[in-house]
Amino acid sequence: MAAEEIPLVFEFAPAIAVLPALSLVVALFFGEYFPKKGAEAGILATAGSLVLSLIMLATVAGGQTVNHELYTLVLGVSEETFGLHLGILIDPLSALMLTIVSLISFLVHVFSMGYMNDEGETGLPRYYGELGLFTASMLAFVMADNILMAFMFFELVGLASYLLIGFWFRDAGPPSAAKKAFLVTRFGDYFFLVGVVGIFATFFPATSTPGMFAGEHAFPVVAEHALAGEATVNTFGFEPQTWFTILGLLVLGGVIGKSAQFPLHSWLPDAMEGPTPVSALIHAATMVAAGVYLVARMYGFYALSPTALGVIALTGGFTALFAATMGVVKQEIKQVLAYSTISQYGYIMLGLGGGGYVAAVFHLTTHAVFKALLFLGAGSVIIAMHHNENMWDMGGLKEKMPVTYYSFLSGSLALAGIIPFAGFWSKDEVLFETLVHGLGTPTASSTLLLIGYAFGLVAVFFTGFYTFRMVFLTFHGEPRTDTAEDPHGVRWNVKAPLAVLGVLAATVGFINMTPVAELTGAHIEFLHQWLDMAPEEYLTNVHHYTEVLETASHYEAAHISPLAPGAVSLALALGGAGLAYQLYGTAAHPEPHTEKLGSIRTLLMHNYYLDEFQVWLATGVTYRVARAANTFDQGVVDGVVNGVSSVSLFSGSRVRRIQSGVVSNYASLITLSLVLLIAFFGIMGGWF
Amino acid sequence: MMVEALLAVTLIGAAMTFLSDDEWAGRVAAGISVLPVVGSLWMYANFQNVGNALLSGSLAYETTIDWIQLGGYTIQWHVGVDGVSMPLIALSTVLTTLAIVSAWTPIDERQSQFYGLMLLMEASLIGVFSALDFFAWFVFWEGVLIPMYFLIAVWGGPRRKYAAIKFFVYTNVASLVMFLGFMALVFGLGDSITVLGLPEIAQALREPGNLSTFFGMSPGVLRLVAFTAMFAGFAVKVPVFPLHTWLPDAHVEAPTPVSVMLAGVLLKMGTYALLRFNFTMLQETAKANAALIATFGVVSVIYGAMLALAQKDLKRIVAYSSISSMGYVILGLVAFTPHGVGGATFQMISHGLISGLMFMAVGVIYNETHTRMVGDISGIADRMPWTVGIFLAAAFGYMGLPLMSGFIGEVLVFLGSFRSTVLPNAPLFTAAAMFGIVVVAGYLLWAMQRTLFGEYELATDYEVGRAPLHDVVPLAILLVLVIALGSSPGIAYNMIQRAVNPILNLAFALGGVL
Repeated sequence: MAAEEIPLVFEFAPAIAVLPALSLVVALFFGEYFPKKGAEAGILATAGSLVLSLIMLATVAGGQTVNHELYTLVLGVSEETFGLHLGILIDPLSALMLTIVSLISFLVHVFSMGYMNDEGETGLPRYYGELGLFTASMLAFVMADNILMAFMFFELVGLASYLLIGFWFRDAGPPSAAKKAFLVTRFGDYFFLVGVVGIFATFFPATSTPGMFAGEHAFPVVAEHALAGEATVNTFGFEPQTWFTILGLLVLGGVIGKSAQFPLHSWLPDAMEGPTPVSALIHAATMVAAGVYLVARMYGFYALSPTALGVIALTGGFTALFAATMGVVKQEIKQVLAYSTISQYGYIMLGLGGGGYVAAVFHLTTHAVFKALLFLGAGSVIIAMHHNENMWDMGGLKEKMPVTYYSFLSGSLALAGIIPFAGFWSKDEVLFETLVHGLGTPTASSTLLLIGYAFGLVAVFFTGFYTFRMVFLTFHGEPRTDTAEDPHGVRWNVKAPLAVLGVLAATVGFINMTPVAELTGAHIEFLHQWLDMAPEEYLTNVHHYTEVLETASHYEAAHISPLAPGAVSLALALGGAGLAYQLYGTAAHPEPHTEKLGSIRTLLMHNYYLDEFQVWLATGVTYRVARAANTFDQGVVDGVVNGVSSVSLFSGSRVRRIQSGVVSNYASLITLSLVLLIAFFGIMGGWF
Repeated sequence: MMVEALLAVTLIGAAMTFLSDDEWAGRVAAGISVLPVVGSLWMYANFQNVGNALLSGSLAYETTIDWIQLGGYTIQWHVGVDGVSMPLIALSTVLTTLAIVSAWTPIDERQSQFYGLMLLMEASLIGVFSALDFFAWFVFWEGVLIPMYFLIAVWGGPRRKYAAIKFFVYTNVASLVMFLGFMALVFGLGDSITVLGLPEIAQALREPGNLSTFFGMSPGVLRLVAFTAMFAGFAVKVPVFPLHTWLPDAHVEAPTPVSVMLAGVLLKMGTYALLRFNFTMLQETAKANAALIATFGVVSVIYGAMLALAQKDLKRIVAYSSISSMGYVILGLVAFTPHGVGGATFQMISHGLISGLMFMAVGVIYNETHTRMVGDISGIADRMPWTVGIFLAAAFGYMGLPLMSGFIGEVLVFLGSFRSTVLPNAPLFTAAAMFGIVVVAGYLLWAMQRTLFGEYELATDYEVGRAPLHDVVPLAILLVLVIALGSSPGIAYNMIQRAVNPILNLAFALGGVL
């Protein structure tokens, strides 16, 4: 691989991640001396990353890709064991993701000047430094060419979000939320790391590069050969497919943690304690996106296991509905958005498990745009409301902040999935792909997929409802407080990112209009074509995945028109939005209708008591076990030690003359006895 | 003659420090201790040898002189350095200098004796990691204990007497048990050895038939008895569950710079000796009992971490977490795979740096607040931002954050033990030990949330300000080392791997793209 000629342009690929890493250093150590306290470094760096990412996108479009090792962490011993490397893989998937991440990160940096600098926050060099770390880690994760490197930067993404969620460390809430975020995702990462280690142990020595994602020697490909009986791998006594399912599910642990899927989703709503621009970054392009991106990155491996796919689809579908129901009752604008993120990533998982690789990547793309938009919009509202986030204190902001309103509306239409906004196309495709594979697949997986589909479909209604409940409560009706009456103005640095994202949220769905393509026969599924462009030898293109899904997992697509399912989901979305309009959009002073739900509302407000359950697991079980272990250690283990010593002291008390009570005498006694012992052995051994 | 030069400089330095004025002793000791640092780093930089000191290959800085005749045996002055001991020697010298500088603030009485003992201990440590004759090795091994005993007993906390005597008696009894086990082996070997050199004994033991019946024990039983005795003896030092209870007491009572040395280097004596004696000389026995040994390792990891979770004293938290981290070393050694043994050795170096850093950071906070109890402090991030920043980085290093040395050590151990063919059910053992990475995050993040963050409060009557520069600089140096080893592990790992390969009957060379 090293001998391969690498196009010059890819020599600059590492800079995409290195630039934000440099901005970490510059902002952290020299930020104080800049007028914008380090924002300059971050903006320049992410702008550079964005430009380079776009160049990569163009290069990949021109048919050139790269997949090679760059840096050796640990050398391998020839024949005996493998080395550990860092490298880059730039193919259509990673080029697309690099562009998304650097774009969102750039806009978040610009927005931060409005949200943080203009609001007189302190500690800004630290803030911009941590943003740089966050961006750099995510970008490096995206272009990782092997799963160990992916894990490494996955962890660093977790560190950066810990630091940023806990940015306001002087209050009690943020440090606690930061700890929870890191700990819950670490719990998932534990399974991920076991999976990584397992993958290396399984595919070495079948391949000398067992961790690679793409190419003939990559683990998904070797696994495929092993299933076909063309390669021998170490499956630790299991059937190959069973073992690959186990490995896939282990790695999925990390995905469920980072992408906030049930049951490891609880950290994400708490993470709202961080500054709002950080939330935008976490939800749209970095932390949470990392999980599902990983599944897409190693899709060739998951496609080998119908069980793993079924688990992904079911987890995703369930999470989509589960989170959407909680979003219905929340009172704070960011809380609603947090649950919507969990729910939307559920859709992406549903798409991946349902055999819709393109659909899932599509939804990942559109969601990145509209969720960043909604969070930045919420940030704008929060600035206006003097950091009051309760929607019941808002109302009537539509006239006062039109840029925010219209861009937020664009994002909301996309989130709710209303034609022709971005979310409609992608969510519809996710549901459609799951449905056709659920109907067409002859094996037991079909039931899992159809259940997942049903969850997802019902969630569409809830999404429409909570999204427009949020819009109406925030922007419509009469102002309900003095602050809402006279909101704080926002500047260009807030409005410009909103405008850019607002336009994108309306239009980005046009990259893959499957129903229209079906209807007109035009070849306008650009994203599908794009992702299918990965070079044959990488084996990461769409038609290869489709083939693997068919042969290994027996996924087959039923031939039905996308129009009817699309119409159903659109009708549900409109139904949810319509109900929200009925309840909250017509009156000048809407009533708190969800309170009529009574005990169901209490259940939803408490997030199905899952948080309480997890706190109980941590403090009620683990901490108690730790305390018991401590008592055992002090009482029994150390007790035996002290017991032995008091017995010897007691017997020693007969020899009063030596037992002087001065500890150092014991010490010299012991040393003396050692010397005597050596002498004894010397005589025994006949040295003298 | 480099090893002898290091020893001589350190011993002369110790003498000069003992004689110097209390007021200047700290500066004198720090200045002198820079010499062995420079010397060992020069040795490190010029180290190109491959092979294992006990088995085969070329040794660096080797001296062999016949010394004393004892009966049928020749006692030699035999020192030499291989890829396992070189990083440990460098770790000892660097950590000693940094610990001495970090003692400037907290040590305010009998300074000349304190710093003199620190240098005396350093000399013994260099000796332990370079001596290749059992006699000299054992003298150095015991020679570490005596300065440590006084350092705890004189400059320690309120229960220093109890902790010091517990440390001394416990580790001395352990030495005794180990000594008995080793001597039984020597006598069992009979005439097949004429010197007490470790390489000669190791090679004699690898040849079948050399070991004869001793004290009514057949060679097989003798191996098992000797292995058990030596394992128990060294396990105290590591420490391995259930022989660990001296450690938290010693750490809590010891002054911070002494804790740095205890956790940073002294614990590694145990794993170093295990590697040299149990896992090199008697590896058939180790392989046959791999599951049992791995169980001790895994229990240490999880049990130590659970105990850390229950503690309220920051120093106790770090002390118990050392037990946890050293458990990984046991697991890696017993795997008998290149990544396992190499990773375990790398983890020794890594843990030496990270635990030293962690104890120093706790010490700096203690210097300013005069308390280490979790409930007594909160929100000091505001008052000492750089110290807290480094504390945070150290804690994440402990959690095995990538690009820091702990990650490389742990991941190599996991990669190595998962693939082990010696250890039955290796994946299950590995997965069980790996759960330590969750618990460690739990107790460190929780402790940090309560002490570093939140509103500033302090239960003691001290005004917390920024720490003096000479308190923070050692922290920064250690952090740089941790990051350097984590992002460029080859600095240490390559020589380590070349030295452990003979243990696994592998060729010396590293393959792949060089």
